[in-house]
Parts: sequence; structure tokens; C-alpha cells
Amino acid sequence: MATEKKVEEEPRIGVYVCHCGLNIAGTVNCEEVARFAAALPHVIVAKDTRYACSDQGQELIKNDIKEHNFSRVVVASCSPRLHEPTFRKACEEAGLNKYLFEMANIREHCSWVHLHDKEAATEKAKDLVRAAVAKVALLEPAIETEVPILREALVIGGGVAGIQAALDLADTGYKVYLVEREPSIGGRMAQIDKTFPTMDCSICILAPKMSDVGHHPNIELLTNSEVQEVKGYIGNFKVKVLKKPRYVTDDCSACNDCSEVCPVTAPNEFDIGLATRKAIYTPFAQAVPSTYIIDREICLNKEGVMACDKCIKACERLAIDFDMKPETLELEVGTIIVATGADVYDPSSLLNYGYTHYPNVLTSLEFERLINAGGPSGGNLIRPSDMKIPESVAFIQCIGSRSKKGNFYCSNVCCMNTIKDSLLIKEHWPDVKIYVFYVDIRAVGKGFEDLYRRAKEEGVIFIRGLPAEVIEDRKTNNLWIIGENTLQKELYKVKTDMVILSVGIEPCHDSNVIQRLFTLSRTPDGFFMEAHPKFRPVDAPTGGVFLAGCAESPKDIKDSVTQASAAAARAGILMAQGKVTVEAITPEPIPENCTVCGLCARVCPYNAIVVDKERKLVEVIEAACVGCGTCGAECQFDALHMRHFTNAQILAQIDALTEEDADKKIIAFCCNWCAYAGADFAGVSRMQYPPNVRIIRTMCSGRVSPKFVEHAFARGAGAVLVAGCHPGDCHYIDANFQTQKRVERLWKKMERLGVDKERLQLLWASAAEGERFASKVRGMEATLNKLTPEELENSKKGFVGS
Amino acid sequence: MPQKLWRKPLDTEKIKLPMAEIHIIKDFCKGCGFCIEFCPKNVLEKSDEINKRGAYLPKVVDESKCVLCGFCTAICPEFAIFTIEKKCKEGCENGEKE
Repeated sequence: MATEKKVEEEPRIGVYVCHCGLNIAGTVNCEEVARFAAALPHVIVAKDTRYACSDQGQELIKNDIKEHNFSRVVVASCSPRLHEPTFRKACEEAGLNKYLFEMANIREHCSWVHLHDKEAATEKAKDLVRAAVAKVALLEPAIETEVPILREALVIGGGVAGIQAALDLADTGYKVYLVEREPSIGGRMAQIDKTFPTMDCSICILAPKMSDVGHHPNIELLTNSEVQEVKGYIGNFKVKVLKKPRYVTDDCSACNDCSEVCPVTAPNEFDIGLATRKAIYTPFAQAVPSTYIIDREICLNKEGVMACDKCIKACERLAIDFDMKPETLELEVGTIIVATGADVYDPSSLLNYGYTHYPNVLTSLEFERLINAGGPSGGNLIRPSDMKIPESVAFIQCIGSRSKKGNFYCSNVCCMNTIKDSLLIKEHWPDVKIYVFYVDIRAVGKGFEDLYRRAKEEGVIFIRGLPAEVIEDRKTNNLWIIGENTLQKELYKVKTDMVILSVGIEPCHDSNVIQRLFTLSRTPDGFFMEAHPKFRPVDAPTGGVFLAGCAESPKDIKDSVTQASAAAARAGILMAQGKVTVEAITPEPIPENCTVCGLCARVCPYNAIVVDKERKLVEVIEAACVGCGTCGAECQFDALHMRHFTNAQILAQIDALTEEDADKKIIAFCCNWCAYAGADFAGVSRMQYPPNVRIIRTMCSGRVSPKFVEHAFARGAGAVLVAGCHPGDCHYIDANFQTQKRVERLWKKMERLGVDKERLQLLWASAAEGERFASKVRGMEATLNKLTPEELENSKKGFVGS
Repeated sequence: MPQKLWRKPLDTEKIKLPMAEIHIIKDFCKGCGFCIEFCPKNVLEKSDEINKRGAYLPKVVDESKCVLCGFCTAICPEFAIFTIEKKCKEGCENGEKE
């Protein structure tokens, strides 16, 4: 490989235009694009191919590299976020350095979003290929550095997913830290009475696993603890965990003597307030760790004043210690599994069902505690108002799911949960009449349909059509349910003793905190987004972070466990390899140009640049740098060579894209993680927008130097869009704040020059916000349409040479 | 949001907290107000009644709130207040002794 040669001989470029079946060829005339590419400078051969990513497609490229002695390759096909690794590997196999390869995204950013304008799509594809060829000619070979991966893992959340992931990793032989916010692990599964479809007792099958976690030599269990800060990168995370005091030491034998004498009571959160606990308590009998905990919020002993010592006196093992202080632990881990779980929908806003107004209207989670042997009624079916066995029970489905009033999505588990609950009632109290009011019964899963059939056979009455209203009889606390049976097209009015609202699953109320800590993305539903919906379903977009359980989407226990094991396996692969290569996209200082002003160091979110004023040197700490490029954008003197995203390369892309009809085009700079991925998402979802936009990918919007925007205007571009992650969601901590500052500065300059400010737009769009991106482009179309020749002249003149 | 706890727990009746009788030895009190200030359940407040030492006495606002922690007894400089557990005379279900 000719890696060290500074002065390259003339580049020899091969271009491949992929049909992707009809995905691209159905809209874009690929032969024409290939013919166009063949005429571009330095291009030796340009071909169109049906599936570039197939074995034959790759073979073709590999053979051509050898035969024609290509020094660079361009593939115009799908998003580089999908197949760049594939083609880079093919190049490498043919002896070409993988950094000498470039992709033009003519599928997600072109054919799929301009389905009905074949001509414009073909022209756009040509433009994108021209830009890719211009960039590839300036690419430089690079060798990647290796980063070691610590063989320790952090699992956040001690529900069934977190438990399974922690056990799998620990059994593989890795040290695992399991952090749980609550006093005990167990999560939602510990609250549930039975599981579907096998009707296993939930806690009976979970408790042994919980106890395995508690005793596993490789697992360090941190309950009553929260993650506060995450720093570092794949393989080398530094995590701060706040361990809140329990005020009871590990000497506790869980004898309950303290709780007996404690004079303060509160509703037990674990029982959703249906039962009472004391100020010193354990949330449930099978809790792990079994050590009790003191709720200092309600304990009579406040900071500095010890008013009550009843528990201290009662404890034979002297396990109570009011002097315990919060501790901050600093962990160093290689991989992280996020299994933070979910909350349930709060139906109190649905006034027509009277939850919180009528005592006999319960949520399904409350019902689980009610019929649980460990719950407040000792497993007896009673209704809260008079503690009597109800004669009839009604379940109402889709509470907070599949509706505008709550969430749009289906919560996956509620149908089966209701069927299970109805069978449980029938099993012990066969005379209780059961109604289920539903929209659709979704019983997709192994053994689910059987259970549904059994419920119907047992005499559970299924009525299609959600009630309009639930009305309480004040005297008896009985409930009248009124609505329409949509199958029989008739109104119903049913009297029951008890109503159970089958509530849906919601993202954890504080999942935005986890999102920030790990720079994750969330779908519009609020659940964490996976790196790829099909092939990387448990990987988070952030390297070394994996997802499991309901944090990713609503799912049942079996799916949570499956996903947790998958996440553990994915994390295990990284740790078994023990090292990972880091993309060679870090900057190289150019001492001749550097004035040692230190601006680059000031904007670096990772403190990866050291400025030595005395020796007049700027140094980049390779291991700490992640290649966002915001330093390169800040540098006024071209003194930082941003590898693979150099100034020269990006300017060449701009030149290529503005070569023809620049005034009719929007030059968009999109960050790899959010905006570019969002534009990809728009493509995958076939959201249509005008074909006037030309996207240039940078790792972070912070890489977008004002120079690039000015150059685009000087070249006569109609409009410029700078798009990145939402503030606070930046994948490079806060590099996009620099983006904002720079764009604001540019707006001021435009104002001074008398240039229409509308022509430069800033957009924050996440990877899930394809529509946001598409509608921005649609909106900017209007700006392009009203451009006058004078305005264009003005901006061209104003920005030339700046 | 995590679910709001709005129900009265179903086992409220079953939980028996000790019932207290609060005794104030009026003549001993010097009106320092420690018992009022430090009672963790805010059972006491200052009254208008003055004893022969010229001190404003504390008075019991709600005896049922007292949980017999005994802190008032411990901090009273004049040994003027003490609590005893109510022996179930009236109202006790099982009619314990006395």
C-alpha cells in the first residue's frame, strides 16, 4: 500500500452506480449516471451494477481495482451508515486502503425521497456522484489505531432484563456492576402475580435469579444507587454512581423486629399504595438484597436530631447506622447495558373512567398486587370499597395505548395480561362474571392464542368496543359501564362490581436523563432507539452501549430475557476481543500554519488538545479524541488537518455540488448521528421532499466551518442548511453549541451584507425525525423560489474571498 | 410519570400503632418550649396557660398523633413531660389487660 507517499500520482478512480434492484433504478437512470461519472476528472471506469453489495458486486469491484489499478473507489448506492463497512472491506481485500473509498447516497437521500420525479432524481444522483468523486480524489490513506476494551461491564436497571444480562455476563466470566435505583432488584416482574401464557408464579421463578445475582462472585450489586455521570468511549467508560445510604448495614438478618416497632407508616410503593409499610422496611419478602432500608423522608430522625431509637433498640445485630453517608463510586467499565425498564400509563387523566374518583376502578398493575399472595389482601380477590369478593369484574383494554388520548403505539402485553388475569379469577372464583372490553385482541406469540381460546371457553365475555363511560352508583360503589358493541352495532350498559383498566407501558419518566448521559436517541414514542432496526436491534447508536428490556420498547418477560441475553452476548463479543479499532478521523496539527492561539483546545468537548504556548505546539491526544472536528472548524489558520473530513475535501464537495444551477440548490451539512441519520430515516420511510437539497456528511455539525457556508454562498448556492443533533443530545457532548454560535455569527454577517438571512437555516433533528428534516427542506423551497438575481449577486460578492 | 399513590392502603385497619397518653407535670415546666419545637410529629403547641413559675405551658393538640418516641421526655430539662402507652381500656378490640 502506498501510504506514505506525500505527492500522489494522479488519482485513478473507479465509480459504481448501484441499481439496488429497483430501489434506485426504479427512479434514477443508473446507466445515465454511470455515463456521466465516466466523464468526470480522474475517473478511469464507471459502471452500473444491479447489487453492488452482493458477492458478485463486490467481486466486480475487487477485480476492477486490480485490473485497472484504481487508487480510489466510489460506490453510489445506499447510505454509508449501512454499507460503508461492506465496501471498505472489499477495497481492503483488493489491497486498497479503506480510507480511499467514498459513497454517494443515491437511495435514502435521492431515489426513495423523489419517487415521482425521475428526471430531477437522476440529476441529483449525478450531482451526488460528482461530489463523491471530487472528495475521493482528495482522500488520503490512513491506518486505524487500536483501543483496548476493559473486561468489566455495567448494567443499569435491575429488572428481569438487567438481571438476565448481568447473570449472562457474569457467568461468561466478566465482572459486572448492576446498578438499581430502588432498594431491591426485581423490577416490574417482581410485582406481577402470574406470567402468561404458562401461568407460572412470577416471583417464584424470578426470586432464584435475584438471589443468584446477590451471591454471584462476579456481580457487584449496587441498589439504591443512580448513575450520575458517564465519560469516555467504547471500551473505556468512566462512570460515576451515587450510592445512597440505606442506614442499615449488611449485618441485617431481615428479622423484621425493627419494622415491628417502627411507629411511622407510609403507603408501600411496591404495592402501589394498596398496602402499608413502615419507615424502616423491605419492599417485599423476596427482596435482594434482603437488607432493610430506612426512608429518611418519613423517619422521625432528621439530620442532626435523633428523636426515636426504637429500631436501634430492637435490632439485636446492631445493624442500624444513622451516620451512613451517600457515596460516589467511580467505575471503569468497557461495556454498558441499559435496561432501565418502563413505567405504566397513569389513567387518572381519562376522566370518563373515573380512576382516582371511584375506589373500585383499579389499574392492571394494582390488580396484580391485589391478587398476589404477598399483596395486601393475601391473594384474595376483593374490591377496595368494601373488601368483599366482587360478583363481576370488567377489564377495559388499551388504556393509554393506540389512542390520541394516551400513546399511539400498542403496548404489546396488555391483551395477554388481561386474558391471564381473567383466567386467574376463573381458576379460584369460577362464579365471578368477567367482561373484557377491547379494540382488538392481539395474541401473537407462542401459546398466546391457546390461552385466549381457553379464556373464551371458561366463559369470559369479550365485547368489542371500549366503553364511553364508567359511572359509579354512590350507594353501593358498583359501576355501570356504557358503550357500543361495535360487532353487533348495539349499545351496552353493564353493571359490574369492579373495573380494571388495562394500562399500557410508557418510557421511564426520567429516560431523558439516561438519554443525555449516554447520548442515545429516542423514537417519537420515547423509547430508546437501536443502531439498526433489523441487524443491530440491541446495539445503541453509541459504541459499547447496548439496550435490553422495556427501555427499548414495550415487551413481555420472555422477549426482555431474550433481548437481555442478546445484549450480554454483544457486549461479551467486544470484551472477548479485548480491543477495538478507532476510525482514523482525528485531526493532525500543521505546525507551519499554527499560531498557538488555543481556540481549538477551548472548543474541544473532550479536552483532547493540549496547547503548549512555550514550545509553540498543539498536540492532539489520540485516545481521547473522537473526531468530531469542531476544532478544525474553529481554526482560522488551516492549522488542523481533519483527517477524512479535511477542509480541501469538503470545499471540493461544495464546488462539485454548486457547479451547475447552484441558485436552485440547498447545500445541507448534516451530522452523521442525528441529521444525516434523520434524512436516511426520511428515505427509508419514503417521505417525499423537493429534490433541491444536496447533503454533505460530517461527523458533527460542529465540523461545519463558517468558511464552508461562505464558500457555498460565494459559489452562488441558493440556500444553506446546517443540521445537527438537538442541543443536549449531541454525540460529542456539546460540540453543537459551537455550531449554533457559528451560525448565529454568520446570520449577523449576512445581515451586515444585506443578504437574506432566511437563506441560511439551522435545524436540530434527531435520527428519528425524518419528517422534521423533510418538512424543513419543503419549507426552504419557498426561500429558493423567491430568490432574485440581485440577491444572488449580493451574496456571491459579499462572500467571495471571505 | 410514576404512579401517584392516592388510595388509603387496604390494610390500614390492621396496622396497630401504639396509642399514647401524654402527661405534663405543669408545676415543673419552665416554658423553654423544647418539647414543642423538637416533637417530630408536632403533637404539642404553646398554650395561654401560665403555671406558678410564670411559664407558658405546652398543650397537646392531637394525642393520637403521638407515636411514643419519648424524645420530649429525653430533652425536657425539668423532667416535666412523659408519655405512657395507653392500656386498652375502651376501643381495644381484643380487650387486653386492664
